[in-house]
Amino acid sequence: MLDSISFLRIIKTGLTNFGRNLWLSFAASMVMTTTLVIFATLFLLFALTNYSLKTIQSTVDISVYFKIGLAEEQINNIKNDIQQDSRVKEISYVSATQAFEEFKTRHQDDPLITQSLNELTENPLPATLHVKTNLLEDYPAIAEILQSDKYKDFVDKVNFEDNRVVIERLNKILKFIVTFGLGLVAVFAIIAILVIYNTITLTIYNRKEEVEIMRLVGATNWYIRGPFLAEGVLYSLLAVAVSGLLLFPVFSKIIPKITDYVNPQLNFYGHNFFNYWYLLLSLLVLALVLSTVSTFFAIRKYLKI
Amino acid sequence: MIKFQNVTKTYNHHNALSGINLDVRHGEFISLVGLSGAGKTTLFKLIIGEERIDGGQILIDDVDITQVKKSDLPYLRRKIGMVFQDIKLLPKRTAYENIAFAMEVCGHRIDKIHKEVPKILELVGLMHKKDSFPHEMSGGEKQRVAIARALSHRPVLLLADEPTGNLDEVNAAEVLDLLMKINKLGTTVILATHDAGLVNKVKKRVITIEAGKITLEQEKGKYKL
Repeated sequence: MLDSISFLRIIKTGLTNFGRNLWLSFAASMVMTTTLVIFATLFLLFALTNYSLKTIQSTVDISVYFKIGLAEEQINNIKNDIQQDSRVKEISYVSATQAFEEFKTRHQDDPLITQSLNELTENPLPATLHVKTNLLEDYPAIAEILQSDKYKDFVDKVNFEDNRVVIERLNKILKFIVTFGLGLVAVFAIIAILVIYNTITLTIYNRKEEVEIMRLVGATNWYIRGPFLAEGVLYSLLAVAVSGLLLFPVFSKIIPKITDYVNPQLNFYGHNFFNYWYLLLSLLVLALVLSTVSTFFAIRKYLKI
Repeated sequence: MIKFQNVTKTYNHHNALSGINLDVRHGEFISLVGLSGAGKTTLFKLIIGEERIDGGQILIDDVDITQVKKSDLPYLRRKIGMVFQDIKLLPKRTAYENIAFAMEVCGHRIDKIHKEVPKILELVGLMHKKDSFPHEMSGGEKQRVAIARALSHRPVLLLADEPTGNLDEVNAAEVLDLLMKINKLGTTVILATHDAGLVNKVKKRVITIEAGKITLEQEKGKYKL
């Protein structure tokens, strides 16, 4: 199809086109940049919120405290009962003795507590079940079952409310980011497409004579279209480069602070969402898709081959 | 070389060409004579595949051009040079660059371009104008650059559509001399014109076309309308 000489000439002509309408090309690239930065920012916000949500969600469970001295067999029966429910993901059992040992280990450096514990003749801590469900929505229902009359005689206390308010709020934020974000990105994407479409159309108009002569002397169709496509790709490359520069401080300074705040134990950079190069690559793909779509339509409408 | 067999071309129910039968032989010089709108340009457009015929058949070296794929048309056009009344040179490029451009866009290597362009300029007698821009040249010179450009792919056929239409007598004669010289070197030339003086000077095969039909064919003919 195209040999390397023609390919280089197409790129060169694309660059010339870019340079001939320098300000217009610059404006087209900046509109594209705005779109990319908005996209990246919303994407990061989404990723951060999502990550926070996951982190918090993983800490949610229902803690069932049994009455002191309840037989282990009895607890096992209840555990098996609950396990039958398809909504339940996992149940872990902490026996009274285990709980007592754990408490002792945790406070072994505190002489006052150690001393008080030694004076005890009986284990004051209850046996506990920690229940996790598959879905967040299922916690109230499962908690209700555990609080029902059926288990009233065995269960002392059921505790689960703690993080649900935060989670619901995060969920709302997430939904907002997705709907609002997608809308905003769509609007800017359309603006970018239109601006590039106009710029390419103008280039086609400016090069009408050249195109006509190229056709007459037998330039191939791809050779004629090539420079316009190259011009669109140049807008994308410039936009991605500028976006990359703008987003770099966000990655090197701001995100580490937020992630440390949310969960210092997790290595956020290990995650693809927070990988700078990965994001840049996504931006490049987005930019190329936008510019190619608009160039394609401009060529189809105005370039007579 | 080119065979038209009962060719018909219609624009909006109006017959631009009808029942055209024509046989162009290798190395011929044909004057295609007719008033504006008679169908000369349409005939040329059919040969280079810019328009498609509505009936009949056109064979170029036994290839049916209605069967040529759109993506292969550029390669057909490289075998056929074409010049126009309005010349169509790029105003911001010199004579040399205008010819080089045609070779560039068809993928010729730069060293080949540097070797060929001076030869072609020499052929059309414009080596001394190689660095002149179109606005610095006379009409005849510009048309000769356009002919040089058309020759850059060493075409087997040169179509000249009213090449002297905008030129005075002296310039027109220059262009005609060049076309005849090119023909002598082996390229088939079809010259479309309604300039009687020009046709009578050539004294070669004349085909007269009126309202889309061939009305007269003469070997070594004269302009008659």
